[in-house]
Amino acid sequence: MPRIPHTSPQTLLLFSVLLDEPARWRYGYDLSKETSLASGTLYPILMRLSEQKLLETSWEPSEEPGRPPRHLYRLTADGAALAGQRLAAKAAKPRTIGPAIQARTA
Amino acid sequence: MRRLAYAVLVLAVRGRRERGGDWGEAILAEFAETTGDREAVRWAAGGLRVMWHERRARRRELPRIVRIRRRVVLIVLIGLAVGLVVNRFVLTVGYVDNGSMETTYLIGDRYVVDLVAFRLTGVRRGDVVELNRPGTDRLLIKRVIGLPGDTVECRGGGVWLNGAPLDEPYLSPDPEYTRMEDCTATTVPPHQLYLLGDHRIVSEDSRKYGPVDEGALHGRVLLRL
Repeated sequence: MPRIPHTSPQTLLLFSVLLDEPARWRYGYDLSKETSLASGTLYPILMRLSEQKLLETSWEPSEEPGRPPRHLYRLTADGAALAGQRLAAKAAKPRTIGPAIQARTA
Repeated sequence: MRRLAYAVLVLAVRGRRERGGDWGEAILAEFAETTGDREAVRWAAGGLRVMWHERRARRRELPRIVRIRRRVVLIVLIGLAVGLVVNRFVLTVGYVDNGSMETTYLIGDRYVVDLVAFRLTGVRRGDVVELNRPGTDRLLIKRVIGLPGDTVECRGGGVWLNGAPLDEPYLSPDPEYTRMEDCTATTVPPHQLYLLGDHRIVSEDSRKYGPVDEGALHGRVLLRL
């Protein structure tokens, strides 16, 4: 049976964080903090989502000179719809859901 | 620590370029947000992982011919490295520079030497071994005649092992090579070997310098090339 994309616990965790405020642009570091995912886990997911146009990215102009511009992320309309759908599907089968998501979706 | 982690990450993201890919730069830009060494190192380590995957993905998009060429170069380099190690520690080739093993091995012959397996299996009577000539670092080959505990004696033109004449099918039928003078009976001490050259007239061997320490063995000759 082929795997359904975007159903890994890490991706669902990221979805649930992004869905808290779907319209707000988020920093990678803050997402990593809130999901407690390491950068090596978080960024590949972000890359995958953005490649499939589920995530928008933009560069925030640097506020202070000498600081590099920061990259920002938020779900597209498609992404938000898919995220909601995936989280709902998982919530229907709570046995396999991670405790972190369970706490957030409760 | 922080600065080291940052430097490594910059190297991974940018390499020799002025600016890395978008995602690499994104991870780099967030580095300043991390607090403490631990978090900084974790962030950088994750970044390295991402860069590694990205690099692999980029490689897959290279033209086929470039990928094949790179793979060939890599294989050749690995092959060379493995070959050097094998030649040094497992199997190597030796060269006969004297006539003491005639007519089995002639001057100029090359042979393959096993450098490892004989240490596990031990040597048997009749094996040809390569050793440092006692007192020198010159390598030469001799035949194992007596193992520890054996008594070896040369009498009546032949070798006697433990009181019985030794059958030596590897010797030349020509007595010009095998006519040997008598030698005193020797009992081989533990961890030593009694060695003779097949050319019994010119060979300098255990008849001259006595049994040889097993530690002097360099390898066992497997075959002649």
